[in-house]
Amino acid sequence: MIEILSASALATVQDLGRPGALRWGVGTSGAMDPLAVAGGNLLLGNDEGAAAVEVPVFPFQVRFTADCAFAVTGADCSARLDDLPLLPWWTHEAKAGQVLQLGVPRQDGAWRASRAYLCLAGGIDVPQVLGSRSTQLRGAFGGLAGRALRQGDMLRAVAPGAGRRMTDFGLVPPALALPLEADGLPAMRVLPAAEYDRYTEASKAAFWSEPWKITAQSDRYGYRLAGTALEPVAAIEMRSHGIVPGVIQVPPGGQPIVQMCDAQPSGGYPKIGTVIEADRWRLGQAPIGSRIRFVQTSWDEAIAALEQTQRWLDEARRLVDLYRGQGARS
Amino acid sequence: MKIDDVQQLSAWLAATDIDLLELRGPGEHLCLRRDGARVEIVPGDALEDGPEQTAVATAASLGVFLHGHPLRGETLASPGTPARAGQVLGLLQIGALLLPVTAPAQGIVQAMLVAQGVTVGYGTPLVELRLL
Amino acid sequence: MKREHATISLLGTSALLFEAPGDNMELAVQQRIWMLARQAEAWPEVREAVPGMNNLMLSFETAPHALDEIQARLLAAWEAAEPLPLQGRVVELPVVYGGQAGPHMADVVAHTGLSVDEIVERHSAPLYPVFALGSHPGYCYLGGMDPRIATPRRKVPVLSIPGGAVSIGGAQTGVSASAGPSGWNTIGSTAMRFFDPGQDPPALVQPGDSIRFRVEKVIR
Repeated sequence: MIEILSASALATVQDLGRPGALRWGVGTSGAMDPLAVAGGNLLLGNDEGAAAVEVPVFPFQVRFTADCAFAVTGADCSARLDDLPLLPWWTHEAKAGQVLQLGVPRQDGAWRASRAYLCLAGGIDVPQVLGSRSTQLRGAFGGLAGRALRQGDMLRAVAPGAGRRMTDFGLVPPALALPLEADGLPAMRVLPAAEYDRYTEASKAAFWSEPWKITAQSDRYGYRLAGTALEPVAAIEMRSHGIVPGVIQVPPGGQPIVQMCDAQPSGGYPKIGTVIEADRWRLGQAPIGSRIRFVQTSWDEAIAALEQTQRWLDEARRLVDLYRGQGARS
Repeated sequence: MKIDDVQQLSAWLAATDIDLLELRGPGEHLCLRRDGARVEIVPGDALEDGPEQTAVATAASLGVFLHGHPLRGETLASPGTPARAGQVLGLLQIGALLLPVTAPAQGIVQAMLVAQGVTVGYGTPLVELRLL
Repeated sequence: MKREHATISLLGTSALLFEAPGDNMELAVQQRIWMLARQAEAWPEVREAVPGMNNLMLSFETAPHALDEIQARLLAAWEAAEPLPLQGRVVELPVVYGGQAGPHMADVVAHTGLSVDEIVERHSAPLYPVFALGSHPGYCYLGGMDPRIATPRRKVPVLSIPGGAVSIGGAQTGVSASAGPSGWNTIGSTAMRFFDPGQDPPALVQPGDSIRFRVEKVIR
């Protein structure tokens, strides 16, 4: 059980998303960095898709009101349990009364990231709605009462004290295990979308070769990017159609908007490309003000990237389970 | 050192959980040892008579020894730094897994016995500590 | 630019987008889209078949290695698809047009050259079939809007329009089911509950139903 001590944190309960309700206009929501949630869960021996707290604004503080194993993954936010500094991507045991503080993510390390994830033993215990514990902010359901967490909120862990869990070990973050850069900037692979060829040659070239800055008008709904204005050969007026997170829309102003986890499941702006599913976590962690690059990829490469990510998770789980199994015997 | 200072230091030491305070200066060597709530002044020379107690943190498995977390630039411990029992002095990387290399007892780090990034086997001595 | 043939494009590795030929939004075409959706949702690769306005998104359970094969299968299914004439109920919504309820009415006036009254008359006349759900929980995409009041989507999307907002985007119209960002032009407001996650199905208006806008008030 944890008590939220921070006000105005914009933190939400998220799992790996709510698929299967697009037909009713319900987008998938879910963690902006699903690998961080999966990683934190496997450190605790949770189901991979157990719910966690996504923390986008810092500092963030919670008090444990019961003994509980936990893990903090995602951005390295100089986490402290009372006055004990914690390592990033690490699992630890909290005693009732202890306060966990997450600070502003470090920007001087090997990976610049913007969101941290707090996982609890067994996962965050909130009801499933339409098959998921993710917060659906637009529809005001899911997570904790369909809203961001507030000071004073209490969240239960599914299995806080169950079987003395092994803690005090961690994972090498996927940002280091699965690096992807272009000219020194974080890169995301993109598959061209239906309207790609309706853009000028100069626009297409700029899309791939120039850095894109993540503006302050970026959030879980979409990342508004700043860079060269992308121009179609002729004005494009579209019929409303289904879209998914990762779709890069280009409104008439020419500045692209990448649809993110809380994006509408349909839209009518032209689309130049889609960030592949395997790379959405990279974009979800890119800080406001940072610059990124898009890299053109193929269907086969994109599928291979998904498989590579799955292999990283499977291997991490295998090693963690082996280690936790050894601990149980000794 | 004046007697007032020593009393001041003794009182301060008694209120902490530090077991030993060692002061060296030109021509002076003073040790204050806390024994429960009592503080006693141990002649510096007396301490140097006994053999040095050391302890070694060893590798719990085959893996790569890291001096710091790969996300961070700083090392976790270096010669001369004090360490509590259980404090993390380094990391052992086994694929995606990172295990802590911890101080077996309270002491002062004497030496990192294996360089950063070297693959070690089960039982390899990694960090030497001088016990207090 | 009129679309000559049906096309299939990628939405990353998460989904395929099928677009029917033409650039209008016809009920007869939508009925074939509904039939195509019913076929495709039974395919093992497909998690959901989500109709749009004369188009269909297939979200993948697992992205298939053989992309060409599923694309061919989809085109063949479209060729064979007969219209599925879904029939539901008529939902009547009272609308306050213009004023604070319709902050972008002036933009529609400017683009179309019509008066507020003419726009209200043309907007409230038809019986609108619900083509699809999307955009946000419970939101209905409607067909059959009078092309004379079509107004392009806004250059810069508005950060938040309220639930119940009645808007025009290009040649389409719709009603917001909750507050959120939108690129459409809001001309009026209505009160209606469109979504309840506790119900099954949670969307209270579905493809096959129809909506009629009743003029409650016009603020000029």
